[in-house]
Amino acid sequence: MRRYLARRLLQLVPVLLGVSVVIFMVLRLAPGDPAEIMLGSQATKEDLDRLRTELGLTQPVHVQYLLWVSHVVRGDLGRSIWRKRPVLTEVLHHYRATVILTFAALTLSAVGGTTLGVTAAVRPNSLLDRCSAVASLFGASMPVFWLGIVLMVIFALELRWLPASGMFSPYGGGDLGDLLRHLVLPAVTLAAATITIIARLTRSAMLEVLGQDYIRTARAKGLVEWAVVVRHGLKNALVPIITVIGVQTGVLLGGAVLTETVFAWPGVGTLMVQGILARDFPLVQGCVLIIAMTFVLINLAVDLLYAWLDPRIRYA
Amino acid sequence: MRRKDGWTVLIALALVLGPVPGTAIAQPAGTLVVGAVAEPVNLDAAQVTDFNSTRVIRRITESLVAFPDDSTQLVPGLAESWTVSRDGLQYTFKLRKGVKFHDDTPFNAEAVKFSFERQINPDHPFNKLGKYPFANFNFGTIKAIETLDEHTVQFLMKEPRASFLTIMASAPAGIVSPTAVKKHGENYPNHPVGTGPFRFVSWDRGQRIVLEKNPSYWKFPVKVDRVIFRPIVEEQARLTELLTGNLDLAVNLPPDFIAQLENNPRVSLLRGAGAHVWYLGINNEKKPFDDKRVRQALNYAVNKEAIVRDVLKGTGQVSAGPVLPGTWGAEPGLRPYPYDPERARKLLAEAGYPGGFSTTLWVPESGSGMQSPVAMTTVIQSNLKAVGINVALQTMEWGTFLAKLRTKEQDLFALSWAAGNEDPDLVIYPLLHSSQWTPGGPNRALYKNARLDELLQQARITTEQAKRAELYRQAQRILFEDPPWIFVDHEIQVGAVSKRVQGFNLHPSFDLRVETISLK
Repeated sequence: MRRYLARRLLQLVPVLLGVSVVIFMVLRLAPGDPAEIMLGSQATKEDLDRLRTELGLTQPVHVQYLLWVSHVVRGDLGRSIWRKRPVLTEVLHHYRATVILTFAALTLSAVGGTTLGVTAAVRPNSLLDRCSAVASLFGASMPVFWLGIVLMVIFALELRWLPASGMFSPYGGGDLGDLLRHLVLPAVTLAAATITIIARLTRSAMLEVLGQDYIRTARAKGLVEWAVVVRHGLKNALVPIITVIGVQTGVLLGGAVLTETVFAWPGVGTLMVQGILARDFPLVQGCVLIIAMTFVLINLAVDLLYAWLDPRIRYA
Repeated sequence: MRRKDGWTVLIALALVLGPVPGTAIAQPAGTLVVGAVAEPVNLDAAQVTDFNSTRVIRRITESLVAFPDDSTQLVPGLAESWTVSRDGLQYTFKLRKGVKFHDDTPFNAEAVKFSFERQINPDHPFNKLGKYPFANFNFGTIKAIETLDEHTVQFLMKEPRASFLTIMASAPAGIVSPTAVKKHGENYPNHPVGTGPFRFVSWDRGQRIVLEKNPSYWKFPVKVDRVIFRPIVEEQARLTELLTGNLDLAVNLPPDFIAQLENNPRVSLLRGAGAHVWYLGINNEKKPFDDKRVRQALNYAVNKEAIVRDVLKGTGQVSAGPVLPGTWGAEPGLRPYPYDPERARKLLAEAGYPGGFSTTLWVPESGSGMQSPVAMTTVIQSNLKAVGINVALQTMEWGTFLAKLRTKEQDLFALSWAAGNEDPDLVIYPLLHSSQWTPGGPNRALYKNARLDELLQQARITTEQAKRAELYRQAQRILFEDPPWIFVDHEIQVGAVSKRVQGFNLHPSFDLRVETISLK
């Protein structure tokens, strides 16, 4: 087990290296560089050239990359071109907000998705099952920014139940209740697609399990129905469900970029969008690296969960 | 037992999350909340190029020359008065006495010299601690800065540049506390210190910037105690926050919101002209655009009134050239090209294109000062189609767009210029003088007119404003007759304030002068 963990952690290195190369190259292949954006439409060639030299953009790309990596391995992600602050400080400051949002959406979609899925599987083709199928179709096909705005208009503007944006009230506030109220709309928006995917998958996994012989045996023993469904049914259907939840975490982390922008949620996504528009290379690289690392670690956690769920799975 | 716990948690959650009618918390008296279009990047005016940043910074630092609250004419700021030598090579500023920076250090000639030298002198100890993107564009003509005494400072120029005083009113010309720059070094942009109506208090990244009033402000007693700037990128979110009382002031509202705001009892809608021009650039070097008649035809073919009325919902005024009407350099006799497709077809036929031609139009999907670029160019595309010109629209992201314009491969392109001041030397010269051709400068239409070049150069070295105005009027008549672009519009800014806000107007420089506000 320990060797397995060590090996998996070691595998992080090539993955992150790959991610870093890709993001480094993609940023530099996109037309426009930081100097161009900084100086805007008023720039002269002379100013541009001077700024490019100052920013180190005139060096060959591989030299720039090696220089950056040599700093990254020492824990230095560089300085944001615009924000005049170390990238690590900046990213970590926003990371907390992203973790809160992603975790809330994940909980929402895991709990909501499995509940919906199980309920639908217990009574296949019932009204509830059909409703959940239609809801899934909607959930999966609504773009995040559209759903976010619709929810905002309904719950913040018309009903006035919830705040429209930000993480805390502009003045006062700052406590847990304030945070939770601000969290509802972005978390629901972000979770909408995932919840339906998990629900559909849970439904089909459950239907398969509920048809097994041991379920019939459990029922024959005279167990109450919920115990049959949850203890014998759901527990055995969990492996594929956990897998899809793990994968969906990546989707949620990606979706957070849009959701955060819509709701002015001060997370890494908002930061990354600003960084991309300003071609703030070190900042974007830092954001992507942290997000990639989070995703890889979550997948590792999911893999470890398998063994706990199904004792037949062993790591060597 | 475990099940019971689960229910307790659920009920507790429901209580916390449950609907709380009227989530708008009672606004504390004296605190003004402003919705920013995006988060400022940093708070050193010399190191930023965007309005979001300068709108905050200009509350904190001030310049020697200033704009009054309702126009972009020049009035004394931190300088009480100034004199300009006849040859335009010496500017002497008399500084206001008794003014202090927020850190209690004195504002004096040394501070002025420091504020500029850190930007333009590579040997200055604080030059390497920052990047000063506009230093050359703004202050490249400064040869030396002399402190004649504690309250007199003299700028010596390499060559005359009549717009220098206007530049001295721009944000990067703000005077910073040398003590603060020395103390914070490269972190100064996150700890700005100036003499302005508000002092910097805190910046909670991604959430808010808090400023507090400067109790000893030299100009007038500030009536608002605290200003909070909140970055809200999404327009609908900004509007919702305004309508639910979580914002007192929001600007850059899209034209589609106007009808909604006009009839809302909770807010007042504000409109104000901006020193800005939106144009459809034409590559003057490429065929068939090298023929003046084709460019005239394009101007006749486009229905500017319809664009302003239907796309912009009145948030623009049709333009007849690059200069904002009503300012000192504008030619009052100029009327915009009328919408006359018949005449356009005739001119095209005369130029040898009776059947029209095909071309491409590059459009940024958004960008500073671009209004509604895609919708506006879509109308232009259909207008041009009506006179036989087939236009293929190519939409791109702002950074990509700017980079592509340096290739000189453009046919037509949509662009704007928000000078934020009214000096034509800072509008016509960079946009249309032949020395400013891209990639060396911002003349992306590759326009060249020898007579215009001469007039612009002459106006640049003339110090007397009346004489300069006459030269610029001639220049605008030339541009009208030999149009470098399709002239489209000058932006009318739109903002809205909550009913408790009094005394606020949108400034033509795009600045947000919240220090004029008092709260009911």
